[in-house]
Parts: sequence; C-alpha cells; structure tokens
Amino acid sequence: MTDKPRIGLYVCHCGINISATVDVDAVAKYAQNLPNVHVARTYSYMCSEPGQALIKKDIREQGLNRVIVASCSPRMHEKTFRKAVQEEGLNPYFLEIANIREQCSWVHEDMTEGTAKAKKLVASAVAKVRLLEPLESTEVDAEPAALIIGAGIAGIQAALDIADAGFKVYLVEKSPSIGGRMAQLDKTFPTLDCSACILTPKMVDCASHPNIELLTYAKVEEVDGFVGNFTIKVRKKARYVDVDKCTGCGECAKACRLANRITSEFDEGMGKRSAIYMPFPQAVPAKYTIDPENCLMLTRGKCGKGPKCEEACQAGAINFEQQDEIVEFKVGAIIVATGFDTFDASRKPEYGYSNYPNVITGMEMERLVSSSGPTGGDIKVFNGEEEIVPKEIAFIKCVGSRDASVGNEYCSRVCCMYTAKQAHLLREKIPDAKIRVYYIDVRAFGKGYEEFYDRVRRENVRYIRGNPSEIFKRGKKLVVKVEDTLTATPLEDEVDMVVLAVGLEPRADMREVMDLLRLSQSGDKFFMEAHPKLRPVDTATDGVFLAGCCQGPKDIPDTVAQAKGAAASAMVPLASGKVTINAQVATVNEATCRGCGYCVSVCPYSAIELVTVNRFGHELEVARVNEALCKGCGSCSSVCLSDSIQPKSFRDRQILPQIAALGGTR
Amino acid sequence: MDLEQLRKTAAEVVAKDDVKYLIGWKKGTYGYRVSPVFIENEADTEDLIFSPLCTANLVTYLTLVEKPPLPRGQKPDTRKVALMVKGCDSRAVAQILVEKGIEREQIIVIGCPCPGVIDVNLLVAKYPEVAENTELKWSGEDFVLIRGGEEIPVKREEVLAEKCRLCRYPNPVVSDIMIGEPVKPWQTEEDTGVSELEGKNVAERWEYWEEQFARCIRCYSCRNVCPLCYCEDCILDRLNPTWINRAVNFSENTAFHIARAFHLAGRCVECGECERVCPVKIPLGRLNRKLAREVRDNYGFEPGLDPDGKPFQASYKPDDPEDFIL
Amino acid sequence: MSEDFEPNIVAFLCNWCSYAGADLAGTSRIHYPANIKVIRVMCSGRVNPLYVMNALQQGADGVLVSGCHPGDCHYMEGNYYARRRLGIFKDLLEFVGVDPRRFHMSWVSASEGHKWKEVVEKTVEDVRAAGPFEGFRRRQIDW
Repeated sequence: MTDKPRIGLYVCHCGINISATVDVDAVAKYAQNLPNVHVARTYSYMCSEPGQALIKKDIREQGLNRVIVASCSPRMHEKTFRKAVQEEGLNPYFLEIANIREQCSWVHEDMTEGTAKAKKLVASAVAKVRLLEPLESTEVDAEPAALIIGAGIAGIQAALDIADAGFKVYLVEKSPSIGGRMAQLDKTFPTLDCSACILTPKMVDCASHPNIELLTYAKVEEVDGFVGNFTIKVRKKARYVDVDKCTGCGECAKACRLANRITSEFDEGMGKRSAIYMPFPQAVPAKYTIDPENCLMLTRGKCGKGPKCEEACQAGAINFEQQDEIVEFKVGAIIVATGFDTFDASRKPEYGYSNYPNVITGMEMERLVSSSGPTGGDIKVFNGEEEIVPKEIAFIKCVGSRDASVGNEYCSRVCCMYTAKQAHLLREKIPDAKIRVYYIDVRAFGKGYEEFYDRVRRENVRYIRGNPSEIFKRGKKLVVKVEDTLTATPLEDEVDMVVLAVGLEPRADMREVMDLLRLSQSGDKFFMEAHPKLRPVDTATDGVFLAGCCQGPKDIPDTVAQAKGAAASAMVPLASGKVTINAQVATVNEATCRGCGYCVSVCPYSAIELVTVNRFGHELEVARVNEALCKGCGSCSSVCLSDSIQPKSFRDRQILPQIAALGGTR
Repeated sequence: MDLEQLRKTAAEVVAKDDVKYLIGWKKGTYGYRVSPVFIENEADTEDLIFSPLCTANLVTYLTLVEKPPLPRGQKPDTRKVALMVKGCDSRAVAQILVEKGIEREQIIVIGCPCPGVIDVNLLVAKYPEVAENTELKWSGEDFVLIRGGEEIPVKREEVLAEKCRLCRYPNPVVSDIMIGEPVKPWQTEEDTGVSELEGKNVAERWEYWEEQFARCIRCYSCRNVCPLCYCEDCILDRLNPTWINRAVNFSENTAFHIARAFHLAGRCVECGECERVCPVKIPLGRLNRKLAREVRDNYGFEPGLDPDGKPFQASYKPDDPEDFIL
Repeated sequence: MSEDFEPNIVAFLCNWCSYAGADLAGTSRIHYPANIKVIRVMCSGRVNPLYVMNALQQGADGVLVSGCHPGDCHYMEGNYYARRRLGIFKDLLEFVGVDPRRFHMSWVSASEGHKWKEVVEKTVEDVRAAGPFEGFRRRQIDW
C-alpha cells in the first residue's frame, strides 16, 4: 500500500428502505470525520446508474482510491459496485460494503438505534477499507462439458439444450433407464397429453445425441475441483448384461425363474417383473439389467441347473462376472436434477394406507390408469375380499403437504391438478362412478389450470371442502370421516376406493449429493438456491446448478423451464471457455511460517502443501497455497500459531481494526 | 539411575561423527543449582548427572537454536543433536515431532525414566543452608540429601514438584536409548490447583486471576522457556497486526496469558516450566493444566504421546462436544 | 449494574449460512435488538478464538460466533474446527473468570431468519445480565 487512503463513502437511502430507520445524513456527517474519509455523500439509490455515476465522478475528480457503499447486503450488490469502481480504474477489491439495510434498517424500528448502529457499521468498514490490498483475479480455462445428475425430464431437457449448443454432456442416472418420474405418469394436466408420448422422443434424442454420454445405472462418487474444472468419478454399477450385445429382445426376462415374481418399482409395487428386467418397455437404453438383490445366481450363486436367462439369450450378453466400472472425466459445470420422493402415505396412519389395499396413492393411481400399467388401464382394486371396479371413489388432497404434523409445511403444487386429472380419467373409464374430492384449498394457478379444474367439476366430480380425519372399514366399504367445512356438516362417506394425493418430498438420499457438492437445504429441506428470486437455479457452490423438483415441488412446465434456465447458466462458463478464480485466496508469509503443517491438515481442498525452501543457506519447509484450489475460507489462518497464512481481504490486520471500530476503542 | 551407564552411553553418542552435541544436565555453580550442558566431546561426559534436581526441560534447546544466515557456499551443520529427557520432557519431543518442529532423524533421544523431581523452592525452604558438594539423590520412594558428608533423608511429599505429583508419564514416550529400568507410575494426586479454582464462581476466579496477572512484568520467561513456544516471530510480539499492546498493564497482561494458554491448548505437555521460571510466581500451570484436563476429558485427546498423531487444534471429530452452542 | 445498560456485542458470521440467515431476517423484516454488530468472514473456521478475546478487550461486552450447522459447512468442515477451537477457548475464558454468558456460539443456516433473531435475543439478554465488561478494557493512551 503505497498511496495514502482517500476514501469515498456513499450512504444509500434505498428509497425509504434505509432512510426510514437510519438517518442517512447523520451517518454521512459522522463518517466525514472518520480517518481518511475524503468525501461522504448520500443518494436515493446507490445501485442505480446515477448512483454509480456519483462514485465514478468522485473517483475521477477527487482522486479517491477506496470506496465504501453503505447500503444493502454485500451479497446483493458487492459485485455491482466492484465493477463500477473497476470501470474507473480502481482495483475492484478496494471496495467495502456496510450492510445497513438487511442487518440494520430492516431489523430495527427505532431511528436512534438504527442510526447509531449504522454509524458503527460504517466505522467498521472504514477501518477495514483503509487496509485492503489490491487483488488481481486470474482466469483459467473451463472444460467445455457438463455433468447432469439425474435423468428425469429436468435432466433430459438440460442435457439436450447443452448438447445442442455443442457441448459434451455426461448424463448420470441411478436407475437402469432414463425417464424418471414423468415416465411413470399416464396423462399430463391440463392438456391430457400422453406423458410417454411427449417424453420418449426426448429420451431417444438423448440416447442418439452425439454430444450426450448416458451413464445409466450409475452413481457419482466423487467431485473434485471447482467451477470450470471439476473432476468427476462415476461408478457404473454392474448390470451383469453386456449392453453392447444385449438387443433388448426380452427373452431373458421371460425365461427367468423369477419371472413375474418380483415387485416392479416402476409400477409402484403394483406389478411384477423378473430378476432380469427392463424397467418399462420404452426404457432408454433398451437394455436389460439383472437385479443383484433378487437374482438367484447373484444372491445364492446358483440358479437351478444353470441360469435360464443365459440359456435364453441368443446374443450371449449375460455376464455374471461383470464388475462395477469407475469412469473419470472432467466437466466445467454441474446440474443437479435429482428429483423427489413421493410422501410415504403410511406416515398418516389415520388414512389406513398400510391396512387397506383399496387406499392407494396418486402415483399408484397413475400406474393403475395407464394402459401400460399392471392392469392394462382397467380400474380394478381389491377391497380385501374381492377385486371390484370401484363405483364410489374419494380423493383426499394435501396428504403430506401443508401439514406441519409430518414436517412438511409447503404446498406440493402438483396434487390439486393431478387429482383433477385423475378424476377426469376415472370419469372416462367409469362413466357412472361417483367421484368426490376432499380438499383444503384448490390451487389451479398455471396456464389452463383453472379452466381444466372447472371442466372436471362440470364432469360431475364433487369437490367437498374438508380434511378427512380418518378412514376405516365398514363391511365391504371404506368410510371417509370428514367435516364439510363449508356447511359445517360431519360426513361419513362410504366408498370403494380412496386415492391419497400424496405430496412431494426431498429425496431420502439427497444427503449424499449435498456432501458431494457442498449444497445446502432450505427450510423445506429441498436444495437451496443461491437466491430465491434472482438466482433460482444457482447454488452457493459456483458452477453447480439446480433443475426440477430437487429444488422444490414443481409441475412439468416449470421443471422444463427451470431445466432450460439451469442449462443456460451452466453454459456460461462452457461458452466463454474461461472462469475467474477467486482472488481472495490465502497467502503465506514464508519468513514466519514454521512449516508445522497445521494448515495442510485443515484445508478441505488440499490447496496447501509443504515445500522445501532455502532460507539463507538452511533448508526448511514452509506452506504454499495453490491459488487455483483455494476457496478463501480462511480456516488455515485461524489454526496457524504464527499467523503466517492469511486469506486476502480477511487478514487479521484487516479484521482486528474492524473489531476495534465496533468495540469502540478507536 | 546408574550414572556410569549414562556417561558411558553419552560418550559413545558424542563420539559419533554425525552428532553435533549432547544436551544434558550438570551440577550448577552453587547450592542446589543444576544447569544444562552441551557436550561435544567424550571427556566432558563426566560432568553429566541425573538427579531429582534435574527439573529443567531441555527440549526447549532443540528449537531455540538460531539459524543465522550462512555465507554463500557454506553448508548448514546437519549433524544430530542428542538430548536427555524425562517422561514429561519426552512428551514435548513427541509434540514437536507432530508439528514438524524438528525431524526425527535429527535427534537422538536419551530417555531417563524419572521417579520424580523436586521443587527447589520447597527444598530451599526446608534446608536453606547449603555446603560444598551438596547433592540430592533418589532413595526408594523418597530422597536423600547429602550435605558435608552427612546423609539427611527427605520425605517425598515435602519437596516433590507439583508437576510430578500429577505425573502420569514418568517414563519417556519417545526415546532411542533408555538409561536404566522404567519406573512404575505412581498414584497421581488430585490437581487441587485447578479444582479449587473450578469450585469458585466466575467472579471469584476473575478476582483471583486479576491479582495474578496484575503482577505480571511481561518478561516473557514463561514463553521463552516453553519447549512448545518456538515460533521465531511470536504473534504476541508483533506490531502489524498488534494483538497485544506493549504496555504492561492488567488488560494487556491478561490478553497475553489468555493467548499463550490458548496457543498451548491441546499442545501443552504439563512439564511445568512456565510456572517454574516465573519471577513473580504466577501459577501459570493451572491455566495449561485446566485446558489439558478439558481436552482430555471432553475431547479424549492427550498431546505428546504419539509422534505420528494429529494435532488437536488442526483436527476434529464429528461428535465433538457442542453443548455450549445455542 | 445500571438499568439502561445497552450491551455492545460483536458477532462473527460465516458468509454462507449465518450471514445469509441474518440477511434473510432483514428481508423478512424480523425485528431484533440493535446491540449486535456483525463482522462478515467467509467461514466460521476463519474465526480465530483470539478475536473473541480481542473484541472483549476492545470494548465489546459480549461476542457471538455463528456458522453453518454441522455437516452443512460451505467449505465442508470449517465449522467443525471452529467448534473445537472455540469450545476449548470458551472453557479457558470461563476458567479465567469471564462470565460464560459473554460468549456464545450458534449454528444458523441461510434459511433460519427466525433462529437468528432468537440467537440475537438470547445473546443480548445474557450479555445484558452479565453487565458491562469494563474490567478487561484495553487502556487507551493519549500521547
């Protein structure tokens, strides 16, 4: 630091957001007398064009070399103002933000208190900005490829967009086929498009796209590196089928000793499959997989006189010796599209889901109504005694949503509409059925949704406002006990079948992804976006984006829109080919470093190593930081006994004066 | 301890070409004094002693050694250093090895199983008159004072150093050569110095330490003698940033002692040197032992036992205590 | 202790969870006492325990350190190191006779604006009860 600090300080009114509880003029006047403050001004909106121009003009005319903006959180506009001062030739890191909005004016009511606190926060910023150092950002090349985790509609859409733009995409899916939840659905609301009809072309496109590498039946095991330069390790689980040889003919599945004896996940437990299986007929890739948890050969080492699948396979594709394979590659960006779980209805025991076979979930209803489903689309349920075609049907909404008692306070956003859709489909299949929908509110907010809801009601589907308290059995019937809250009438509705409109929940295995990518959860336990409004597809980890229901419940159009957004964001580093490395990295004073290696132990990114240096003829070890790997967390510096390693912009000598300013000794 | 064996072994060690010197204890110039000695040739090994008066921890000399700039072309002296250690001293060696303060191959550790050393202040108080050739020796569980040809039995509990009353590691944990047989660890006493203070309320403790720290003259002896305070440039001396002002007053003294104790948390091996050398007799050991106790009881960690172990402050367990977190 | 004592509290917040949580409290207009003044650091692991000592010496009556919940650290494990170091430091302060109510640590996530308010209120209440901490103040010398 050669030049004497000349600080310009700008206090933002933020309309009345700040000035209502902070006397901005008093703050500016106070700041005027702080050491090295050359000018102190106030302005209505500092972030506006004229606000920024004010700063630039002062830098030009008053020779400012440090700038403080007392305004909203640095998480909002630090970048804006960095850019502004940079445009005027100042180092962008000669800027400090005093957060007098989110952490002052908005949380305090009393003007005296707010003003006093704002003064302190400004003093703290002045104390620090004087001692900041100029930093240079460096750029490194970005790998022109993306990883997408999860190949439901969100992952598929993002993959296609990125691949179409000319970048390599690795699409990783845990299950044997891509397609995800949407593949399980029958029709889609409100247009009643056949779900498979609109999804499968996209699945096929993925498989045939020269830029997309499908890694199905696979799991991301390791993610290293940083935006632009992630190194990924994926475990491709053994399918015990050579996919290059498998023709997907299905003879193996027919031959399997366990044919039609294993519960099908795809059919929500309502259908059966073999131990060697393709999850559904349109699966991509159309290859078979042996389920290692059930296959007799794999669980017992023996399958009759010999595995029948092997016998049946003309292509010779069965290989019980197959091992998991680890694939390693580099990408510049990652999209997380891991989807959701449906609410486990047995957690609401009052609805009897575990006890009565004719209480089913919405997802089961999808399979039941689907012509490719376990009943071929016939609506038949077992009422405990016999299989019947239900004539009286009740839907119950908000099961596991908007329900604090199960820990889900949020609205799942799709249940109202899929209930309406299913009611409509039932009406088509069983024209004389009596259908009643029990609801708390009906939320039909999307394009064409309200119209569809109206149509369904006109189709003689009765909507009754009430949240059922209990379902029990009476003879052959199920009784839904509920109060019609519009007429304040207690009802006992006798029906043949109940459909629980279960909500959407974060995936049970999301923790693994969180740990892998250092993501956070929001209050609803879905993945948290970087900003709820302005950065809805970004995460706190640079280069990692969110798409679809892993970020919160969504319907298909919203999921596709978000996936396209995530794809566009992910392509920014890929297209520019460059990423800027965080300049606020740790740096070592080799003259005082003892080479104890404490910093090396604590660094989560292995960004520090001990190197041998020659100090006046003596060979000794000191720490050295790899700036490309350092994220600037500063954990190294607080474990360093000699304070020899310090994160730039957050050095002890920059923080201690802040402490003094807030404490009030200086 | 067989002094002949010690001297013979020491002579063999210093005779080696790759040994620079051996650090041991020798009889001091007067009274009960014992001083450290740096022995470079075999003849001088006759001076070596090991007695209950050898309280000082010699490990500090391993890291105190200066490394002045060398003339161009001159190679640094990389010969080994041999040193004598008691049980407690050896833990300091282990801790320095953990933090790479010295390389294992650079040192030859001569382990001296230690039945306990004395607090010279207690001995002087009881036997103030000293004659030429005064000696103190171990005798069974107790000591015997040899003064002017006369042998005076001295009870162990009368003069034993506080650190030895609490000692759980009388035998060296790191050594290349062991002199004599291991001693049997004894029943340790309650650390009343720490417990008594724990029994007080915070206000009383503040009052207690206020009185202690107010007396501190900031001579830094405690820091300089500590085998684990070996940063060449101590942050508590530094001006930019200034953690502690130069001024000697209660506030700065207290900050100095808090910082010193904290930097030793999970590192202090309880050799008691800081307290022994304090000219104004501040019971500094209590601070360190309190933290050592917390580290042991709450984190299951004890420094200075495993030269290949992890440093306490640079490691964690997912289930570390967090009852203090709101 | 005077009735109108308003404690001065310095808080160190990690950028990713607690600072964001405090911002969220602001965005949600959740009101809390103005006694707390925040210094932003990138990670709670950056908080050298000696900052706590320094703040108390330089005029703070109490100190709060807040980071991500265990397992949620943006840098994976910085908060675990912070917990260990600040935990042992708290033991030290208490042994020296610093009222334990003067130093608190908390986990506040980016979505816990309400928890941030509760943490602030608890801290302010505790420090208010502990009173001004004049005993340890750095002496100012006017040259």
